[in-house]
Amino acid sequence: MQLSLREDYLEAIQHFSEKNVYPPHYEELAVALGKSESVVRSDMEDLVSSGDIAILPKGVITLTGQGRQTGESVIKKHETLQCFLSEILGMDSSTASDEACTLEHAVSDETIDRLGRLMVKQDGQWHPGRGGNGMLESTGICRAGEEECQYPSISDCSEGENVIIQCIHGRACAKRLLDLGMVPGERASIKRKLSNGALVVQVKGCDVALSPEIASAIGVERLK
Amino acid sequence: MKIALLGNPGAGKSLIFNQLTGLGIEVNRYPGSSVCLECGNVCYKKEKIEIVDLPGIYSLDGSSEEEMLVRKFLEEAGADVIAAVLDATKLERSLYLFTQVTEFSPKVIVLVNMIDEAEHQGLIIDIDKLSSCLGVPVLLTAASEGRDIDRILPLALGSGRVATLQVPYDHHIEAALKSLEKTLGTPRYQSLLALQGTGKDRILLDAAGAVAHEIELRHISVRQIIATNRHNLSRKIAASAVRQGDRKKTYDLDSLLTRAFPGVPILIAILFFLLLSVFVIGSWLEGFIVASFTALVITPFTALALPLLADRIGFSMLIALQAGFGIAFPFIFTFYLGLSLLEDTGYMTRAAFLADRAMHRLGLHGEAIIPMVIGFGCTVPAVMSLRILKTRREQTIAAFLISMVPCSARTVVIAGIVAAFVGILWAFSIYIIVFILIIFTAVILSRITPGEQFGMIVEMSALRRPQVRLVLAKSWLRIKEFLFIAIPLLIITSIGLGLFQYFGLTDAFQQMVAPITITLLGLPAYASTALLFGIFRKELAFETLAVLAGTADLGSVMTSAQLYGFAIVSVLFIPCTSTIAVLYRQLGARITVLISIYTVFLGLLIGAIINLLMK
Repeated sequence: MQLSLREDYLEAIQHFSEKNVYPPHYEELAVALGKSESVVRSDMEDLVSSGDIAILPKGVITLTGQGRQTGESVIKKHETLQCFLSEILGMDSSTASDEACTLEHAVSDETIDRLGRLMVKQDGQWHPGRGGNGMLESTGICRAGEEECQYPSISDCSEGENVIIQCIHGRACAKRLLDLGMVPGERASIKRKLSNGALVVQVKGCDVALSPEIASAIGVERLK
Repeated sequence: MKIALLGNPGAGKSLIFNQLTGLGIEVNRYPGSSVCLECGNVCYKKEKIEIVDLPGIYSLDGSSEEEMLVRKFLEEAGADVIAAVLDATKLERSLYLFTQVTEFSPKVIVLVNMIDEAEHQGLIIDIDKLSSCLGVPVLLTAASEGRDIDRILPLALGSGRVATLQVPYDHHIEAALKSLEKTLGTPRYQSLLALQGTGKDRILLDAAGAVAHEIELRHISVRQIIATNRHNLSRKIAASAVRQGDRKKTYDLDSLLTRAFPGVPILIAILFFLLLSVFVIGSWLEGFIVASFTALVITPFTALALPLLADRIGFSMLIALQAGFGIAFPFIFTFYLGLSLLEDTGYMTRAAFLADRAMHRLGLHGEAIIPMVIGFGCTVPAVMSLRILKTRREQTIAAFLISMVPCSARTVVIAGIVAAFVGILWAFSIYIIVFILIIFTAVILSRITPGEQFGMIVEMSALRRPQVRLVLAKSWLRIKEFLFIAIPLLIITSIGLGLFQYFGLTDAFQQMVAPITITLLGLPAYASTALLFGIFRKELAFETLAVLAGTADLGSVMTSAQLYGFAIVSVLFIPCTSTIAVLYRQLGARITVLISIYTVFLGLLIGAIINLLMK
């Protein structure tokens, strides 16, 4: 099965499940996608064998963990792209949605993350996407414990380096860091680093001293 | 008419407050909180104006005591006008707090302070633009030079008004705010707090919690969205109002102070010098104060020859006052002067940064160095300053350690008994033993104390030249607070002890604990009474011992080993009553009892070991 077709299916199933609270039957999914039921049935077998979905009795289609992850990620990409196309580039929303449907299969996670941040920076607002819930998870926070953060921690950087803060793990210390201006997208520079990893970080013109364990919770992107 | 100063820590609120009110400051405890509010009165155009200095905070939605207090103050409209103090050198960051203040819709004026420093850095602030962005009158001030301070009151009284500024939140948040307003009729600021899980109204919290949860499921945390929106607005305003001109090059002292070398040696030298000078100046002044108090008050009083009971009570009160002033002014006040000086130069934050590594070994983090250093002066304010530590775990560990740090009263015991009769090196050995025990205790406690470690997040304050006036004012406030807590306790316990002696209970007590005193510790029986008195005030242990021994020349009645043992037991043995009182207030009964039991046990254990070794 083609990658884009698989993603379309998973997106549709996830979308249906979210909207209706229960997972779809064959015929409901077929209606939602505007395809014939027999085509859907045979495609579903492929998806079962690839481990994305499971078929419950009475033809109810549920996503596996892997399937849901893919589905959610495609929905996110779709929303981000649609939002970008309509809000920033000014396309009308149905064209934007169609375009997003094609682009969503090819775009990389990084592009989506960067687009998301770009839009947050534009005017301090997140933009609506499809169905009014198009805000972007990619704007920064790796939720504590959920997954490995893709960004290096600020404690890995060395004295004198400039960085952009990307995410903050954990909740306990996050509030104070946010208040001091360490929000995702903010530039910071490392003024001092002691051998134990304690840092003085300059952000918004203020020097902030951080313990090593706090510093390790801040994910950053290095600037050359 | 009441004006409250509000702003980030280090924005210069206290300096403005001092400039406005002079030194006639009252310290008020806000109901239900251990945070102090400083209030002062000033007369302007025949009207009495009360000025309140709110504690410095970074945000209004947090859960620290300071933040909650300021929030409550704003909710209750505690002042007629809020004077928001912004730091001209950090305008963007200061505006973040301001955006939150406006949500409570008080009447405001904005003081952009430290404009002198900003000029030095080449920052040019467009006051008209800033004023029109914020929708309130703006005044540029330089409190350290007293520049334009006199214009604050007329401005606050004449043109304080509700800010037009409103943070444009993300549409999810705005939608949530609207729906909460529609369904429950909650004002904007309350809904914003509730979305972040703060508030008392259960229905509101549940409703807001559900919405917040929904947003967070799909996106990032509500707190982050809100914080980002506020920061973005602050950035926009700051960008339009501040221009960077030519910057004067200055030498960056931090290249010395915050490096491991020479920063750490400098830190150790500064602390050592602080303690040494407190000790030298303190002992000199104490002798002077005690002698003049005896000559001027106590001798005339005993000459009155009142009936015995009245004489006892009166004498106990006077002794309490004498000891209170005799320790408070020479040692604690001198210490506070040094400490305030260090704080005002901005050095303490650097000390915290450098000490972070060592403090981690003790299960604490850098900021804990501040209570520990204060502990060398007096345990009472050290315990009070524990609230700068964020978690219960750190507060508990630090409370144990602070109770063991030799405060100035214990220094008096060590100096008066060991240094005087045994030898100066032996006196130092007591410090070393105590430090080893502190480290040992910390290592154990950091293993067994439940709770999580918070870690250090400290804003480095700018290095600046301290102002004598402000240092004095700060030390004076602190000593006042100390006297306020300690003197009543001293008088009560002193009278209690006086009656104890009057009714002849001393002998009964000595008999009762004789096995411990004589067999375990190898001390004379009367030493137990001296130790008991030491619970009330540490240095009383020394004074009582001299009285009970019947001679000031302790070396003639006790062996060196006994004196050494007595000193170390009374140094370790149970914190004094004032400490117990503040421990109870700050950390509750359980920790207080645990600390008391632990220190008694430790004191007896070390006393017994020394008795065995030195026999």
